[in-house]
This record gives sequence, structure tokens and C-alpha cells, in this order.
Amino acid sequence: MADETTTTTLLDAGLSRRRFLQGTALAGFGAFLAACGGGATPAPSGAPGESAEPGDGGEITGPLNWANWPAYIDLNEDESASPTLEGYQAKYGIEVNYVEDIQSNEDFFATISPALQAGLDSGWDLMCLTDYMVARLAGLGWLDEIDPANVPNAVSNVNDNLKGIEWDPDFKYHFPYQSGADGIGYNVKSTGRDLTSIADMFDPAFKGKLTFLTGYQDTFAFVNLLLLDRGEVSNTPPDMTNEDADKVYAFLKPYVDDGFIRAFTGNEYLQDFASGDTWVALVYSGDLASSGGPDDVFVYPDEGSIIWTDNFCIPKGAQHKRAAEAMIDYCYDPLIAAQMANWIYYLSPVKGAKEEIIKLDPEAADNQLLFPPPEVQAKSYPQPNLTTEEDAYFSDLSAKLEGA
Amino acid sequence: MGEALRRRKWLIPWLLMLPGLLWLLAFFVIPNIRMLQIALSEGTLLTGFVGPPEIWAWANFPENVARFAGNFVNSLVYGGLATVLCFLIGYPLAYTIAFRGGRYKNILLFLVIAPFFTSFLIRTISWKVILGNDGPFLAVIRDGLGLVPANFTIIGTPLAVTAGLTYEFLPFMVLPLYVALERVDKRLIEAAQDLYAGPWRPGGTIAGALIGGGVAIAVGVGLGYARFLGDGADLMTVLFWGLAGVIPGILVGTAMISQAFLRITFPLTLPGVFAGSLLVLIPAIGDYINAELLGSPKTQMVGNVIQGRFLNQNDYPTAASLAFVLMAAILIGIFLYARLLGTEELQNATV
Repeated sequence: MADETTTTTLLDAGLSRRRFLQGTALAGFGAFLAACGGGATPAPSGAPGESAEPGDGGEITGPLNWANWPAYIDLNEDESASPTLEGYQAKYGIEVNYVEDIQSNEDFFATISPALQAGLDSGWDLMCLTDYMVARLAGLGWLDEIDPANVPNAVSNVNDNLKGIEWDPDFKYHFPYQSGADGIGYNVKSTGRDLTSIADMFDPAFKGKLTFLTGYQDTFAFVNLLLLDRGEVSNTPPDMTNEDADKVYAFLKPYVDDGFIRAFTGNEYLQDFASGDTWVALVYSGDLASSGGPDDVFVYPDEGSIIWTDNFCIPKGAQHKRAAEAMIDYCYDPLIAAQMANWIYYLSPVKGAKEEIIKLDPEAADNQLLFPPPEVQAKSYPQPNLTTEEDAYFSDLSAKLEGA
Repeated sequence: MGEALRRRKWLIPWLLMLPGLLWLLAFFVIPNIRMLQIALSEGTLLTGFVGPPEIWAWANFPENVARFAGNFVNSLVYGGLATVLCFLIGYPLAYTIAFRGGRYKNILLFLVIAPFFTSFLIRTISWKVILGNDGPFLAVIRDGLGLVPANFTIIGTPLAVTAGLTYEFLPFMVLPLYVALERVDKRLIEAAQDLYAGPWRPGGTIAGALIGGGVAIAVGVGLGYARFLGDGADLMTVLFWGLAGVIPGILVGTAMISQAFLRITFPLTLPGVFAGSLLVLIPAIGDYINAELLGSPKTQMVGNVIQGRFLNQNDYPTAASLAFVLMAAILIGIFLYARLLGTEELQNATV
């Protein structure tokens, strides 16, 4: 009987919420499936390997091959179609081949890099990748320039705080798609107290019930904020160096060795919160609110939080570049942006979307996830911006920490 | 054509083997040569990999094996233990189905393979819930019976990983054992009994109790408790684990182990034991899902390293060299095992 109750609890915590998939419990599964299936990904139409010349000659032609993360687009009530994609298809009369093919930046990079390195078409026209990965692709010269004349909405509506990013200040290669934050998630019933800071996560009472995220982009940057607060390092997350990474590693290693930190996870932390094996974790901002239980809380810690942005970008040799630009422009219509944000609960980069969201759903105005308060924004830092050598160093350290 | 073939009789077996040989060449030999080539390479994904014939980075092998020795040990220990446990659980199960199944035989066999109708990911994740902090198992032994301290955990320990592997691969043990047991000629057993191979009740009971109890304590204390908490186990827990093994051990030993069993049935089913243990050991050693989902950073197996190196670090040479070493080690192990038991046993097992 106990069996049954627990299973039901898990299902309640997840499946009954319309956005159980949100954030990606499925991303985890997908990654495993991809790994098990030999990384087989459905090839988009317009097979890789064709010539790298733009194939559209300035006309908007389809189909648009768009790679995105799971549960990262608005759906209609019965989740059978996306209003945004349907609207685009109606407006431009071309098909969208929308594939939820990105489960992690690194995995996806591994799938497209052979073609791009050889100067061939990757098969994609549009991709949404996180800052550091877009920066890396741009640095390698593997992205097509976005013609500002083709994306007037985007040029005029992109939020001011996203302008002037170091690796692409003039939006030559990217436009933001959605942003989110890393913060502390905890189950208030299990912890029996409120947490407000990163230091609180290491309360001895939470031994064996604490998890962090895999990879260095979130975990190392986040712990760096704690060490910065204690004066043990002097660089903010975006300026982290190898020495800072060493210090983060040295700080975390004893906690891993004595089992204090139980695991490094992807979005599976949602299941661990449901089963009671995780009480406290480093989490993405929207997940617990949308897919966690009633006692699961998200806070922006006192030391600050990490903010990241996933960006539109167009790989070199894309066959339907004009269609991709049309999609970027379409998503920068404040009405469309509000429609998306109100479903996926991440931060829209579009000016005017806020007003439209509140028109759609007046209660959303108080939602700290959709609209982080100014004091939080002031302490939000981007993820580390690293050279390829530093990236290799950081990922090696994080792999060591994760036991593999 | 027919005439030509008749004159070249020696060609026929080769022609019959041709599809299989081509298959092996295309999907085993060539990929493995390519893997060896990558294993001997240097470089990164961004700068490109340089390998044979320009560079022969033989040092990749010793360096990576040394660096990830802990993960290899984890793989061998968990995979080996899972195989032993699968045997101890699977043999009585197959024996019961084959000898006592009666008209329920087919249903029982179906039940053995029924879990395969659900994705193994879903099943592994379900174990997270069942063994989890708020799950039914701890609710009984921790909250109900008070056998373990309040901070006792199963998820994240080697015990959880081994249990997951045992569960996942049990059918691979049961099916070959069942086939082997089915083929045992019952008249041989009757003949043995006529010739004074009588029941061996106290012996079977004691043997079952000792095996069951010993294995349970060794597994429970060694993997689950002491290693995780680091402070040694308390008496109650040891007793609990011991009883958990002794009771089924007594039942199974009493019901199954007799002189006829020891002299006839078991020796005749050794090919099944051989096939079953290979079918469990090989995938269990290479598995990474159980360690990923049920384990902790300290229980990562070599499969997890290979997976991470390929997909996250894009460090193909390291991943390829580890995969190559793992495969070579398994092949050598099988070869030795086959020599030990004789290739005839291997042939029997595959019939």
C-alpha cells in the first residue's frame, strides 16, 4: 500500500501539473536515450553535408529547421500544437520543423560540430543555445550574421539589459530567446527552516540531502559567489579564472567525499525533491514553481544568483536563413513574446512583453520568477566566460568532482 | 551454378557464413579499428584530433586506466556482485519454474520477462522512489521497525547501484538457467535417488542459511552501511541484514538442495550458469544508468566516465581508450572463463 501512495505522490507532484515536462525532467531522459541510442538524432530535412551556400537567395523559403530545448515553447490547452508556431506558419506560409533536440549545450555541440568544422550545412536553420555556447560558436566563426534589416522588431524591442554583451555587442550573431536564473531550491517541510543564502545550503543538518547541477557553468559560478562573499576569491563569476575554479573545487571536494553533497544532477532534481532524497539543491528558477510540490521553495540567495540567457543563432551554411530571421523577428513581437512567456515561465527578452503578460494574466505581475525584483537583478551575474583552454580546465575539474 | 558449387564443396560453408562475416566486419571490426585509432589520438574537438599514423599516443592507455582506476574497480565490484546476486536469486527461481511450475510454467516465465514491457529508465527511476527517503522500504525498516538510524539512506550508496543492476539483469540469468534446468532428464534424478542419493535436509537447510545470511551481511554491511556512513555498522542492522538473507536461504536450501541436486541437477545445469553469468556480467560492467540515477559521485562506474567524456567533455581519445580497455578486459575474462569451463560448455549453453 505504501508503495501505491508514494507513486501517486510522485505523479501528483509531476504529471498532474500541466508543465511537468517543463524544465526538463524529460531533458534528462532524453539525454540518456540519446546516449543509449548511440546519439541518434532525427536528421532534420535538408540533410547535413549539402553545400554551405545559403540556399534561399534572399527569399523566405521553408521549411524552417529549428532546434530547441524540450518544453521551451508555448502550447495550446490540449498541448497538441503551439500557437506561436502556427501563427508563424500562417503568416509566412512555410512549414516549421521544430525539433526539441537540445538536452545540453555540450551534447548538441557535439552533434553539429563535425559538419560545421568541415564547412558543411549542419541541417539546422535556427538554434537556441546558452550564452557561453553561442560565444564559442561565434568565436569559431561557425555562425551566420543576422541581417538587422530583416529583424526590425528584434532590433527595436530587445531589452536594454541584454544589450552590449561582451562577445557580441551589436547582435551580429545572436538575439536572446529566454533568460532564467540559478538559485536555491529547498523543501521547507524537510529542512524545517528557511534558507536565504548559499552558506545556508551547507547546514550540517542537510548532509546527504544536498545536490548541485552537473557541469561547471552553474555550480562553479554559484559557489564562486559564496567564496566571493567570504573574500576567498576576488573575481565575479563571468571573470572566473583557473585559480578561482581550483578554489571552488577545493571547497566542494570535502563535501563530496563525505557524502554531504549526494549528487550532481540535471533537472532530475525534480524527482529527488518528490522522493524526499533531496532537501536542498541548486536549481533553475522556474522548475520548482511549475513542477515541484507545494513545500518546494525557490529563493534568490543573498550572495547573488547566476543569470543565463538562451539565444537564437543561425549556424553557418543554414539553408533557410531568411526564414530563421523571420522567426526571430516574429518572436520579438511583444504579443507573441507574452504568449510564450506566460506558458514557459522564463524571462522574456522583449520590451513591452511585461505589459502584455499582465494583460493576459494580472496575477503574473507579482511573480518573482517572471519579474525578478530590482535588488535581485543588481546581484545577478552571467555564467563564466572562458577561453577554450579554460573551458577544458573547468570541465575537467567538474568531471573530477562528479566522480567521472 | 549448382554444378559449380558441387565441385567446390569447400565454398559452401564460407558462402553460408558470408552475411555474418560481412556483418561482423562492418559493425564490429571496422568500428573497433576506428575506436582504437581515436584512442591513440591527441587533441581536442575544436583543434581536431591527430591520431595514427601521425601520432601513436600509447600513453593514453596507462594514463587513463590509472586516473580512472577507481571507476574500473566500481564497475568490477558492482557488476560482479550483481552477477552473484542474480545467480543466488535466479537459480531457485528458475528451478521452481522448471520443476514445480506445473501448468503455471508459462505464466511464471512471462512474469519473469514482463518488466521488459516497461522502459528500463522508468523502472530505474521507480527504484529511486521505492528506495527513496520517503519511500515504502525505509518507511518499514526505519520508521516502522526502527532498525536503522534516522539519517540512513539507500539512494546514493553502492548498495542501491548493485541492487539496481541485480534487478535489471535478473531475467538474463533466469532464462538460460530455466532452459538448462528444463533439459535435465528427470529420470536421471530418479535413478540417483534409487541409488541412495537421498534427501539432505539438514545439510540443505544449513547450506542455504549460511549462503543467504553470509551474502546478505556482506553486501548490506560492506556496501550499504559501513561504506556510506564510514563509522561501521551497529548490531541491529547487521542482524537485520543477516535475517533478511538467512530466512530465504533456509527455505530455498531446504526445498532445493538434496544429494540428487548436488550430484545430478546442478552439474548438468552448469552451461546455463555459464551463459547466464556472462549475459549478466557483461552488460552490468558496462552499465551507467544505475550508477547515474541511483548512485552518488563516489559510485560512478567506468560507463559513466565514458559517457561523460564523450558527451560533456568531448574528450574522444580518453573515452575511446577507456572503452577499448573495458572491452579488451571483458574479452580476456570471457576467454579465461571459457577455458576454465571448457568450450563445450559454451557451445551447450548457446544451444
